[in-house]
Amino acid sequence: MDTILIDGRSIPFEPGENILQAALKADIQIPHFCYHAALGSLGACRLCAVEIKPKDSDKAAHVVMACLEPAQTGLEVSLSAKAAQQVRRHVIELLMVNHPHDCPICDEGGECHLQEMTVACGPSYRRYRGNKRTFPNQDLGPLIHHEMNRCITCYRCTRFYQDYALGNDFGAMRLRNEVYFGRFQDGPLENPFAGNLVEICPTGVFTDAVFRQHFARTWDLKTAPSICPHCSVGCNTLPGARDGTLRRVRNRKHQELNRWFICDRGQYGHQYSEHNTRPLSPRVSGTNTDYRSALAAAAREIQAAAERTGGIGSVREDLEGNVMLRSLLNDLKGIFTAFNDPELETATLTAVSRMQELDNTPHLAALEQTDAALITGDLTFHAPMIDLALRQAWRNGAKLAMLHSSAAQLTQFASTAATIAPRKMHDMLTQLYRQISRQSGANDAVTQTIKTIAATLSQARQPLMAGVVETSTAQDIIALAELAKALESTAQLIYVLPGPNAYGAALLSAAGETVTLLRAAERGEVQTLIVAGSDPLSEPRSGARWRAARQNINTLIVLDCIATATAEAADILIPVAAWPERSGTFVNYEGRAQGFSTVFHRPEYLPSTADIISEISHLLGNPLRDAASMLQDSFPGFQAPAPGTPGAHISAQHLPIQYSELIQTKSHSSNNGWQAALASWLGDDPLAGFSPALTKLAPPNAALINPESAVRASLKNGARVRLWNSVSSVETSIQINPSVANGTVAIQRSILARLGIGHGDSVNLEQLV
Amino acid sequence: MLKKPIPSYQSTQGTGILRSLWTVLRHAFTKRDTIPYPDVKRSLPARWRGRIVLTRDPDGEERCVACYLCSAVCPVDCIHLQSRQMDEGRRYPETFTIDFSRCIFCGFCEEACPTLAIQLTPDFEMCEKHHASLVYDKQQLLIDGQGKHPGYNFYRRAGVAIPGKAIGEAECDTPPVDRDSNLP
Repeated sequence: MDTILIDGRSIPFEPGENILQAALKADIQIPHFCYHAALGSLGACRLCAVEIKPKDSDKAAHVVMACLEPAQTGLEVSLSAKAAQQVRRHVIELLMVNHPHDCPICDEGGECHLQEMTVACGPSYRRYRGNKRTFPNQDLGPLIHHEMNRCITCYRCTRFYQDYALGNDFGAMRLRNEVYFGRFQDGPLENPFAGNLVEICPTGVFTDAVFRQHFARTWDLKTAPSICPHCSVGCNTLPGARDGTLRRVRNRKHQELNRWFICDRGQYGHQYSEHNTRPLSPRVSGTNTDYRSALAAAAREIQAAAERTGGIGSVREDLEGNVMLRSLLNDLKGIFTAFNDPELETATLTAVSRMQELDNTPHLAALEQTDAALITGDLTFHAPMIDLALRQAWRNGAKLAMLHSSAAQLTQFASTAATIAPRKMHDMLTQLYRQISRQSGANDAVTQTIKTIAATLSQARQPLMAGVVETSTAQDIIALAELAKALESTAQLIYVLPGPNAYGAALLSAAGETVTLLRAAERGEVQTLIVAGSDPLSEPRSGARWRAARQNINTLIVLDCIATATAEAADILIPVAAWPERSGTFVNYEGRAQGFSTVFHRPEYLPSTADIISEISHLLGNPLRDAASMLQDSFPGFQAPAPGTPGAHISAQHLPIQYSELIQTKSHSSNNGWQAALASWLGDDPLAGFSPALTKLAPPNAALINPESAVRASLKNGARVRLWNSVSSVETSIQINPSVANGTVAIQRSILARLGIGHGDSVNLEQLV
Repeated sequence: MLKKPIPSYQSTQGTGILRSLWTVLRHAFTKRDTIPYPDVKRSLPARWRGRIVLTRDPDGEERCVACYLCSAVCPVDCIHLQSRQMDEGRRYPETFTIDFSRCIFCGFCEEACPTLAIQLTPDFEMCEKHHASLVYDKQQLLIDGQGKHPGYNFYRRAGVAIPGKAIGEAECDTPPVDRDSNLP
């Protein structure tokens, strides 16, 4: 291998690497600001000065920027050369000329790159006695605090925001030594990855506005490796806690998933565990009590109900909690399911079985290499980091085709995008399938869109099919998988699942149990229902049915860490530890089992779900074994992945593929009416919905329709309307949005839940006079 | 002070007793070196490292900005605080406790303090009957004066805006750049 000499040490390098990259890989810390592994070299800061002496050259030794100088065999690099040291010293001294005297009140202090570099190579005192240049600050919304005086003009922020995250409402302004980084006008940053500015900024220009409210220095924070509980990607995080409260969540590098970045939901959604409505004390029939009596009461009710007990696990409950609840229900001969909604169960199980069958689900780093993708639904707010990976694929020249029912941010990068009403998605995918596989159904009558998408996918080296389970029916999911199979190349398949452990929950579920449990509850055959980390009463599609069935359930036992509607309605509420307060295992969308560990303990006693169920089983006189051996029964050879390791693919039996008997074709009788579509947003997640900073960014709760539908129904922007069905009605206002499908009304989850409908269900809309 | 070596017992026999008695008698009339504490209290130098206080700036506002440097440098870990931010931009410690039963009065906190807020005073009389009474909270620590360093106001030099001092109005600042203009 080729090597360069850095201060006498022989350092190997790959062709195309520069001196800085080679040095950093060998753990030689050349001081630098503007270079970032994800953003590359720029040469703006001039700090990484080194002296080089080219081999076989009569050129004298001279100072160059390590980030811009390609590594060449035999190149002699000196970090300690006097000339290089002097350049670095002067650069720091010049940067500090205008840097404000802010360190004691700057949140970056203690993890500030500028502080470290100044200590490492700069002078200790500021010689210049003149006045400092100042900048006005901007209000960048509830997530990020702006303090522009501290800027050292490394351009990392714009390079991340504009070039990497592809945002367009933030950039560099002005000129000379007065370059300003901000927005044209005050206002929240629109990009869902804006929170990374906090990490990417080498000094304190952008700081975490949430952390700021309850600040602690980095050296005081208790940290441990954790996994983000907000979506099915399973990004690695590093929560920081102090004095029994969670203060912040930061990205933790995982080579194959989130590498240097994390989405704003992951970074700012964590405040659910500090929300003032969070249940911290067990409650029996509305009165606070202690764990001993609450568990005794729960055990009594379960004993009385015996096989008339039902259990709902959760897609956001860890593997341990789900497997313990399932075992408890098995022993009682009750019904267990991990899902609230029969259709969501079918869709998730179908998606997992198809991903198992194709066995070609890429991780995020591989996703960036894809060259064509077909995306159905909105990835941005269902799996933000998959969206970010696809933005990198787009930068690398990938062609994105999008089929969506409601607004989706990725459409701005799509080469082909079509708005498709939820119930027409299957037709569209079938036509696409016929076009690609040249089946008998294929003819010239198909639209240009289908032809273009089919051509793009067929010509691609490695096409990708990406779907969102929550806004797809099982038929859409099967169609997308068939499409991937029809593309004979190495087509990849991704389904965004409805929760951080949806994959694991699907592996532990038997098909059709949700509808069995729901029907049993409706018939009054479920006397006691145990709900662990789930919220059936506010589920969009089946919430209304659960609310009706609640009347027939004698005792509702809820184990949760947030105050959901179900927790409020519980007869016995047993609070459990939130994710950073316990250890467990999540299985992400690719089937990768990842462990997370206890970061801290709150002053209150809060056990995990698995602990509580184990305790209940002891009280029932039939103790369960521990979760680890239960998991080994379900998944032969399962070893709980150690937190902080990359995780391993869970080896499980493939789920059965055929669910046709469960997939009911919806009646298309009311085709002329409106179809509801889910309009998602950044805080649209059961946990993140309790984070005050994110809820401040909630879009207005309006009904979105496209201009064509608005003309047909003679509705104007802002018109007051009533959405109604047989269950209830909701008043809202119309917002005209061209990225909503024809005949579709895109509404938020809360309205869907109040109407008791899901994505693709019919809804009536009438104008209020 | 004795200049000569003390003579041996043998050689002082006879005169020794008398000499000792005379020395004692003579010292009964000299000015004494000890002071009868606590009836009389010594005045200690200003840099004496005794009870720790939190001072105020010349405007009467708290000097402490809750930067956590004192608690970081403390070798016995006796300082605990939690920072808060006023809506207008000032930082202050919401809680500030010093456990004087642990404190070794090394003065590192005073040296680390970038705002001259935490200062050691010449007071050392802090006896308590109960251990818990030695844990001082902010109310007990915060004094109304500026302590040993009058005149210093951190926020007059810092770049952040606080009520009464906008961006660019600090002692060594130029007026802020107009970001909507490209004119020099």
